[in-house]
Amino acid sequence: MPTATRTYWLTTPCRIRRKDQSLRIERPDGSPVHIPITDVRDIVACEPIDINTAVISLLNQHRVNVHFLSHYGDYAGSLLTSDTSTSGQTVIAQARLAGDPAASLDIARAIVASTAANVRRVVDRKLLTRPMTILESSIAGASSREELMGAEGTFRRSAWAVLDTRLPDWLRLDGRSRRPPLNAGNAFISYVNGITYARLLSAIRLTPLHSGVAFLHSSMERQRHSLVLDLAEVFKPLFAERLLLRLAGRGQLKPAHFDVDVNQAMLSEPGRKLVVQTVRDELAVTIQHRALGRNVAYDELLYLEALQLTRTCLEGTPYKPFRIWW
Amino acid sequence: MYVVVVYDTLAKRNAAILRLCRQYLHHVQRSVFEGALSPAQLRRFHHKVTEVIDTGYDSVLVFTFPPGTTPERHEWGIAQPAPSDIL
Repeated sequence: MPTATRTYWLTTPCRIRRKDQSLRIERPDGSPVHIPITDVRDIVACEPIDINTAVISLLNQHRVNVHFLSHYGDYAGSLLTSDTSTSGQTVIAQARLAGDPAASLDIARAIVASTAANVRRVVDRKLLTRPMTILESSIAGASSREELMGAEGTFRRSAWAVLDTRLPDWLRLDGRSRRPPLNAGNAFISYVNGITYARLLSAIRLTPLHSGVAFLHSSMERQRHSLVLDLAEVFKPLFAERLLLRLAGRGQLKPAHFDVDVNQAMLSEPGRKLVVQTVRDELAVTIQHRALGRNVAYDELLYLEALQLTRTCLEGTPYKPFRIWW
Repeated sequence: MYVVVVYDTLAKRNAAILRLCRQYLHHVQRSVFEGALSPAQLRRFHHKVTEVIDTGYDSVLVFTFPPGTTPERHEWGIAQPAPSDIL
């Protein structure tokens, strides 16, 4: 991944214009901001933005993807540039692997197991020991994706319940709800998951993998990149649950950061800024990678994960999904 | 690496160099730009600058800081905040 380029986060409604072969962000209040196009890796739009053909052609020249999050923070869609890193060979290998029931189920199992391990690591090691052992046995016995997803759902429910015990009253999840999230805690989780999804899509687009051919999630799903859903699964706890616990524990999240209505909740403007800033900083945190022997940023972990899956497809090396090792 | 670019060119060529700098760096003051560039980007930028300016008359100062470091920034007078990636 190029190191001198950044992700830009748009947290206010704005219009993107093309000016001097570069980008100009125009906001209703305040002066326009010029962004050097060579500094942009991708753009995450958390608020509605206006865009025109001239901008799109410039973004396409510089291979910049734009990801859009909806009103509630769900992933709404992306403006993707034409694929440059495609390789028919890899896609064929990936499809062959996904089409082989035994091989794809192995990968799906590994993903579910790693996700659960990450959740347990982040939420509570001790209280989730038993659900984990139950999950492990049901993973071993599962013979289809649906059974795996069901087993994961059971584990997740216990994990959400344990997570609730560590949160202040007003942030409790009371079960996961989406579209729209029912309460503040769910709104936070949805928002961070949306961002994780968008970042991972960018990472996968750098590899020759096809984002629609998946192992755990159904490849039939439309308007969603199933492979991104697969890989996002293991990273969600690293960002969503972990940051929720951290921000709640430090008292950084305030009720004012949410707009709570009857039966729906979403982040308010200052809340959105806080979350985006936190996630941005978190993505830049580095960790000593044991195999590479150097420091890698969390952001790069997403890319390494996609690369690893590419190798699994092409060379048949066993796929070991990301587990929090620290 | 972090780069600060300051230019002093003939008024006629100001627009051209401004346009070029905007593609690579953040505009912080009238003829001052700053931002992070990779060595390759810097070389490309350098090449393009020499095409635009009259090397016998104009001058462009480029300060680079070692990779992994950012210079400490002090704002005296009107605050001119450092370019941010959250807008």
